[in-house]
Amino acid sequence: MISSTAARMGGRFRRHSGLVVLALALGLLGTMYAAFAPASRADDAKTATSAADVRAGQQLFEGGCISCHGRNAQGVPDRGPSLVGVGAASVEFQVGSGRMPMARNEAQAERKPALYDNGQIHQLAAYIESIGGGPQIPSMTLRKTDATTIAEGGRLFRLNCSSCHAFGAGGGALSSGKYAPSLYPATDRDIYAAMLTGPQNMPVFGDNQLTPQEKVAIISYVQGQKGDQDPGGLGIGRTGPVSEGLVVFLVGITGLLIATLWIAGKS
Amino acid sequence: MSTGHHTPETDFDVNDPQATQFDLVREGARRDGVEIVHYAPRFPVPGTEAERRIERRIASLLVLAGLAGLAFVVIYIAWPFHYQLGVNQGKWYTPLLGATLGVALFSIGAAVIIWGKRLMPEEIAVQDRHDGASPDDERKLTAATLLSAYEETGLRRRPLLKGALGLAAAPLGVAIGAPFIGSMIKDPGRELFKTGWGVGTHLVRHDGTKIRPSDMKPGAVETVFPGIPGGATNVHADSPTLLIHLREDDAKKAIAKARTGYENAHVGNFFAYSKICTHAGCPASLYEQQTNRLLCPCHQSQFDVLDGCRPVFGPATRSLPQLAIALDADGYFVSQHDYTKAVGPAFWERP
Amino acid sequence: MPKLDTAKAASWTDDRLAVASPVRRLMNKVFPDHWSFLLGEIALYSFVVLLLSGVFLTLFFDPSMQEVVYHGSYTPLYGMPMSRAFESSLQLSFDVRGGLIMRQIHHWAALLFMASILVHMFRVFFTGAFRRPRELNWLIGITLLILGIAEGFAGYSLPDDALSGTGLRIMHAIVLSIPVIGSWTAFAIFGGEFPGTAIVPRLYIAHVLLVPGLLLALIAAHMGLLVKQKHTQFPGPGRTEDNVVGHRMVPGFAAKAGGFFMIVFGMIAALGGIFQINPVWLFGPYEAAVVSAGSQPDWYVGFLDGSTRLMPPWETRLFGHTIPSLFWPTVFLPGIVFTLAIIYPFLEQRYTGDRRHHNLLERPRDNPTRTALGAMAIGFYTVLFISGGNDIIAQKFDISLNAMTWAGRIGVLVVPPLAYYFAHRICLGLQQNDREVLAHGVETGIIRRLPSGAFIEVHQPLGPTDDHGHGQLEYAGWAVPKKMNRLGALGASVKGFFVPVEQPPEAPVSPAPAERKELTGARGDEK
Repeated sequence: MISSTAARMGGRFRRHSGLVVLALALGLLGTMYAAFAPASRADDAKTATSAADVRAGQQLFEGGCISCHGRNAQGVPDRGPSLVGVGAASVEFQVGSGRMPMARNEAQAERKPALYDNGQIHQLAAYIESIGGGPQIPSMTLRKTDATTIAEGGRLFRLNCSSCHAFGAGGGALSSGKYAPSLYPATDRDIYAAMLTGPQNMPVFGDNQLTPQEKVAIISYVQGQKGDQDPGGLGIGRTGPVSEGLVVFLVGITGLLIATLWIAGKS
Repeated sequence: MSTGHHTPETDFDVNDPQATQFDLVREGARRDGVEIVHYAPRFPVPGTEAERRIERRIASLLVLAGLAGLAFVVIYIAWPFHYQLGVNQGKWYTPLLGATLGVALFSIGAAVIIWGKRLMPEEIAVQDRHDGASPDDERKLTAATLLSAYEETGLRRRPLLKGALGLAAAPLGVAIGAPFIGSMIKDPGRELFKTGWGVGTHLVRHDGTKIRPSDMKPGAVETVFPGIPGGATNVHADSPTLLIHLREDDAKKAIAKARTGYENAHVGNFFAYSKICTHAGCPASLYEQQTNRLLCPCHQSQFDVLDGCRPVFGPATRSLPQLAIALDADGYFVSQHDYTKAVGPAFWERP
Repeated sequence: MPKLDTAKAASWTDDRLAVASPVRRLMNKVFPDHWSFLLGEIALYSFVVLLLSGVFLTLFFDPSMQEVVYHGSYTPLYGMPMSRAFESSLQLSFDVRGGLIMRQIHHWAALLFMASILVHMFRVFFTGAFRRPRELNWLIGITLLILGIAEGFAGYSLPDDALSGTGLRIMHAIVLSIPVIGSWTAFAIFGGEFPGTAIVPRLYIAHVLLVPGLLLALIAAHMGLLVKQKHTQFPGPGRTEDNVVGHRMVPGFAAKAGGFFMIVFGMIAALGGIFQINPVWLFGPYEAAVVSAGSQPDWYVGFLDGSTRLMPPWETRLFGHTIPSLFWPTVFLPGIVFTLAIIYPFLEQRYTGDRRHHNLLERPRDNPTRTALGAMAIGFYTVLFISGGNDIIAQKFDISLNAMTWAGRIGVLVVPPLAYYFAHRICLGLQQNDREVLAHGVETGIIRRLPSGAFIEVHQPLGPTDDHGHGQLEYAGWAVPKKMNRLGALGASVKGFFVPVEQPPEAPVSPAPAERKELTGARGDEK
């Protein structure tokens, strides 16, 4: 789908060489950013796993995770699920975003500052990986900046993601206190891992359902929108009519009420 | 209105050369039933510092309005406004226009109001009201005129004409209304009971690709469309369906609770339910893969996927209809037949 | 001299039209001055802005459902199939110079129009301005409110984005839910199955021609009746049922109204530029399978969305037919609400037996029952309104969505009676406070020690007192001064914008015209 659209648009792009230059420049900027960004978890996860990592991961697991997820990560009924086969991607997402370990057993694991550093997460991932395999985040660029990819990502986002995470990617409420989180704090790898593993109540989007290219397209769209300054002024949360209604009363009506008091007041 | 209240009691001579302009104003007001009971300049002694201060304030507001208006025009013409993803100059186009126009209009408004409040003479005027009904004799005259108009037609004593008029008017009235209503009427027939699904229609993705069981992991959900021309477009707005791959344990529960006639509607652990909410027709597509609930984002109806998509919370009263699915010879998902229940919101004819 | 030319033009016109007296009569029309009388003006001025900006939008918007592929400058939608209506909305926003701010001004003006109608209606209700002889204008006002909702909804649906499409889908379900005629009506309106291609062009013609025409005619009638019947006024010194005390229309009232128009317009322009509204490009084109968490209607439809969310799942089935639960909160409830609003003036007349003419307003405290009923209605409305956004509230404040729904269900039953009770008590308390000041005077803050050793606070009576030192002024529903500086006994307090400028109140009807004549005469000579 992507490639065919790209082919269709190739001619147009040649005509708009300025756009290409811009895309290249942005791409370069992105690469430089990735290169110089403060040690991302990406770099650690890419390094090879060793038997030592697995052993260290097991120790970490038995120190911090075993009470809920049980011996050999087999799970404990009513406390924590089995982690056999969840894969390194899941560990990186859950532990890296601070969701695990949970503060208490509740409906929703919240994003919070990570308890483990990147090295430890890598070791934990290696251990879980060693038990039952499972999905891994591929070592490739997870974001593109060309218009076609972004537009295609937008289509997929609206079809698969916006129902829970909302058009503005700000998240939304689910049943009984659960919620789909805002995507604003999420990194490329977070989003990729989430789609791949389906953390908490999120459905799983395996590679046969959303191909890695399509996942990249979605990430490109989401991250592009996050970094996009609103063309119409303040975005007021990009939540739509609720915040607009709030503004019309708090700013519009309140401001004009003050004006009426001034106009009708004695001079 | 105070017509007819030109009381010539006071003998005010409009042409009196001694009369000041204000005397004329007051006389005009008096003839309109308005008494100016208090009228005084804000600054009895002209040219004081206080007065000049207010003049300066008004003038500076007007100058500000002019400058902001000019800025608006300059920005409107010269500022780049084309869209570019990211943070850039063009994104300031609309905010700058709004801010400058807002400042310009607000300044003019404030200047005019300060002018009115602080420089124009203060006055209190009292106007008489003359409301209530018209005088009795006026009413009587009008009533007589109306009645006579009716009686001149003689409708009262010409019942034939009265009837004939009715016969002429009623069909004509209908004739004028009929095209408006008649052209719009369309028999719903069985349309509301049908969707794009048929016997052996492929379940396809938005881009038209077919789906195999191996494409979806346990805990996955996919929006599928009937694999017919235009199946994923709004022509078949009732057809979007959720294909859900339940986990092994959950699937057992769901199968145990399968409704009569739907015992074989699933393929393995795959279940297909209509995406269109039975409440108001929004896509009820917020799938919680651990609690196995579907939530509709419009009015928060919640459906239990393990129990035939029965509504468990919110305003919805009916289960989401299940689409009976099977696999074709090549292992792709197909529908066994169309939905057996009407999809989407309820209506009168629906049993 | 230019003055001569004006005079010539005036004579020329009057020679032909004989308008000298009507024009002067109009200019001399007296309008009372109170801040709350300006609320309806906000609605009027917003409507003017709506007309102006709306005309601009029609130059670029194309209400066509023809499918096209987007090649405009908003790159995140590049190459997407969409309807021509949505494409032209995007073009309008991104490829027309100044198009986006016009769209945003139009939308903000619409929200402000509806908000000011509501606030204006509260003022009219709580001061009893709808009483005889103004029942007709109340009816016109409610009709304007209903038409405004319809007009707003039609406009919200036009761009054919995913949010408005979701709204239309719900509207379709609402029409379907009407007993007996639902499905036929829905097919007639939509020209077949949802969504079809007829609805957007039809809504367009309703939005730009039919409803605005009606609105314009009714607004003209609303203003015409106001001029004919003259404005109401609050009771006060010199103000009676038979007069209007205030400024003449020209120049005093006209200056304020003209200035206020500019301020309202300025507010809308600032909102339109600074706050992004209805970013259809984020929503994408409407597709039946696409939806977003937190899908809402614009605020003025929010209370109906709320009632729908709170409705328990009660469906009526009779003889093989269905009355969907959706019917009750979306058709039946607004039917009841607007009927009650329309007949309220007549209900009140019936229950109070008060059928007299009223040109003097009542302060809300002076009619506790009406105020309490109004508070009850607002309480009911507010619970529904908040429930209309309960998912956003649940998400932002980390509350369970189901708990929000239940809170709304209970609240809609509990809040209105509580609001009635408290509003009633507060009204009586405020009245009592006024009466107390009339009887005992204003607190001066001066403490005096009596020879017996007791301390008392000295009160300043507002008028003549009887032998016991009690004031003899009758309670008249006037505003009662409660501070010494309101009486002029203390200096004016700080002058300022947010603090009312406190000066000794001038007697509105002051005698001694001779003295004034001198002043004004001098001014007249100058000219």
